Amino acid sequence: MPTPKGGHFGRILEIDLSNQKYKIVPIDPDTCRRYLGGAGMGSYLLFNRLNAKHDPMAEDSPIFMGVGPLTGTACASTRCSFVNKSPYTGRLSHAEVGSFIGNELKWAGWDGILITGESKKPVYLYIHNDKVQFKDAGMLWGKDTHITEEMILEQVKDPYVKVASIGPGGENQVGYAGVMVERFRSAARTGTGALMGHKKLKAIALRGTRYVPVADRKAFHKAAEANKQFSLKKEGWQGLKRWGTAGLLELKHHVTGSLITKNFQTTWYPDIEEIGAEEANRRFWKKHAACYNCPNHCMKLGVIRGGDYDGLIAEGPEYETGGLLGSNLGIADFDLMMAAIELCDAMGLDAISTGGSLAFAMEAFQRGLLTADKFDGVTLEWGDGETVIELIRKIAFKEGQAGKFLARGVSAMARELGGNAADFACVVKGKEMAAHDPRGDKPRGVSYAMGTCGGDHHEGNSPAGQAKRCLHNSLVICSFVGGYWSPKMFVDMLNPLCGWDMSEEELMATARRIRTLERCFNVREGGSRKDDTLPKRMLTEPLPDGPKKGVVFSPAEMKKVQDDYYAYFGWDDNGIPTEKTLKELGLEFAIKDVKAAAA
Amino acid sequence: MEKKASDAGNDKFLDKKTSRRSFLKGVGTAAGVALASTAMGSVKPADAAEPVKPKPQMKYLFAERQNCVGCRACEYACSLHHEGVVWPAKSRIHVYKHKGVVDVPVICWHCDDAPCINACPTTPKAIQKDPKTNGIKLDAKLCIGAKCNKCIEACPSKFIRRDPEKGMPLMCDLCDGDPECVKACVEQSGNPVGPCLMAGKLGFGVNQAYRNVPPEEAGEDLIQGMFYPNENGERRS
Repeated sequence: MPTPKGGHFGRILEIDLSNQKYKIVPIDPDTCRRYLGGAGMGSYLLFNRLNAKHDPMAEDSPIFMGVGPLTGTACASTRCSFVNKSPYTGRLSHAEVGSFIGNELKWAGWDGILITGESKKPVYLYIHNDKVQFKDAGMLWGKDTHITEEMILEQVKDPYVKVASIGPGGENQVGYAGVMVERFRSAARTGTGALMGHKKLKAIALRGTRYVPVADRKAFHKAAEANKQFSLKKEGWQGLKRWGTAGLLELKHHVTGSLITKNFQTTWYPDIEEIGAEEANRRFWKKHAACYNCPNHCMKLGVIRGGDYDGLIAEGPEYETGGLLGSNLGIADFDLMMAAIELCDAMGLDAISTGGSLAFAMEAFQRGLLTADKFDGVTLEWGDGETVIELIRKIAFKEGQAGKFLARGVSAMARELGGNAADFACVVKGKEMAAHDPRGDKPRGVSYAMGTCGGDHHEGNSPAGQAKRCLHNSLVICSFVGGYWSPKMFVDMLNPLCGWDMSEEELMATARRIRTLERCFNVREGGSRKDDTLPKRMLTEPLPDGPKKGVVFSPAEMKKVQDDYYAYFGWDDNGIPTEKTLKELGLEFAIKDVKAAAA
Repeated sequence: MEKKASDAGNDKFLDKKTSRRSFLKGVGTAAGVALASTAMGSVKPADAAEPVKPKPQMKYLFAERQNCVGCRACEYACSLHHEGVVWPAKSRIHVYKHKGVVDVPVICWHCDDAPCINACPTTPKAIQKDPKTNGIKLDAKLCIGAKCNKCIEACPSKFIRRDPEKGMPLMCDLCDGDPECVKACVEQSGNPVGPCLMAGKLGFGVNQAYRNVPPEEAGEDLIQGMFYPNENGERRS
């Protein structure tokens, strides 16, 4: 089989946890070029390996951890992608995570790891270049992600190893449990943690000492450097460097009017001054941290001094974590908010879905749908940070009525409560929405409603934007960096790296191919136009105050978004990719399944 | 401060293992900063009052550890310069992340007394002072490679790593006087943290103050220094 000239290694490591065996799966250069890697490659592999309505928790249901051609090269800010069929939403989902784990995976000489099977006892994987070891994780089971990472680094005796691990949330298969990387980075929005917990895979430790082959070194390094310089000059970067994404907390409150507050009841939260970036800068932040080769150190670390949580080191607040566990819960105490964020990280829970679930429960209490007698005798009120922290721990261990109830997520909770609970359940495609209110920030509604994973703020704010995000997620680079780059800049980098002659049109066709394949997967699971919408609250309730007072994301606007979107990608009125489109994009293998699902 | 800084050059003081931690906690970082600033000041000819006279043409590499954000651009630039491709496993400089919180750039300080040269068993020695940069330089032809472990053991900073391919020690050569890592670091730094790596004509003593600390100890020290400046809180979680 021919091997790729550069960028890709042309091989994937397939792990069978049931028998503790592994094998090398070659990937031909043509597939690499058509699906790039990361989310795209994962969608391709999963589409072919799984059948319609495959049980996501089945033994042969895989997790793909993938990197792209640019990962670990001279390109700035490369990441790692986790792709699996989410046990939480039943859809194809992908989550991207920063830090260095993707680079170590690439430097170990792999384009990805496909994890199948189920182990009988807890294990963790230690992969050093070609050497794959299944190590006993009995000692680590039940430990939080921070301690797990420290213990693994001690065991493997190599401080340069990078670890992706799950916490108690994943072990107990909480639907929205994530994978934590290097303590504070999380690939959380796909239910990967729950799946890893089900497979009894506690962690993946990676170390690589190879380099990524480059077809034309001189041209590639020149293009990569030029692209980085291009982004460096942008003003938006200086803000991110200084304030991280936390800077958006005040901005979205004062200007954009899209800071979610009290389960999307409003976007006006005057207490934001207590928990925003200015406050964090004044009393909390001690250090900045960056991903690989990124000049944009948007991660901020700090320590709580004084009070109950004295000495606690935590990361954040980021816009999402600060919004979901701060303003969305009505919390105005900075220390309690940071302790809640840190606890989510330690327990391996998705801070977005955790915050969404807690806010939903709070509103259920506010409306009298939920009472203390069904909730371990606890009354949950807006801004009650101490109870929130106690509940996050209970969610991770599925402890008591409250823990079990909250761990099911907003959709299931709304079904169980009945009544008008569905009216204030802010979920898209079964997943909680992130911290941008689509009424104030309408382009963000496109990302929530039309994206593959659902409720995801990170999938592009227009049809073309979503195609570009597919590129970012498949080349697996950071959207803060890649967002500034035009298709031409990508092509200038990719061609000398991989030895291709790709045109801009082919690159954008690749993006549409990946997005359409993801769609085919979800069509096969029963997805169609009816899922591509926003929750009832967004479509009917106008914002009561704030800069965008009175604004609503009207159903007519929603319909226009859908129509434009389907037209851009060449899907029919019901959001099903047409046969013509599938043939044009070279997705003939999907035609049969899509037709069967649409019929 | 001035007195302590010159103390840093005193080998007897540093060789006492017990006093190293407390010394660094107390003055290590501050002394480093002070020295760096005096050193940068010493570029100007107005520094005639300075008691320690900088040696002419002497180039050092210096890492202000508190400023490191762990982007590893230095590894990228180093391997690109030496190997022609991005290959951090063969980078001469590396960044160690301690407990996922602090980043410790592990560099060659190009010590004046150079324990690696003393330890090198070959004749003539494979590691020698480079008259051009006054730093150390490895002669790959003379080095006996994987069979020998002497310089790796001797390095007080635990800086030297082995080439994963050829088994040679990976030694910093200051890129013949214009270190690429420093350029990469300066380019990426700023807003609000300054560059971590610096090179220039620095006065005697800078390397001695930091070099005897292995990465793990430096990381622990950084956590204490950056996150618990009053030393009255223990980490919990």
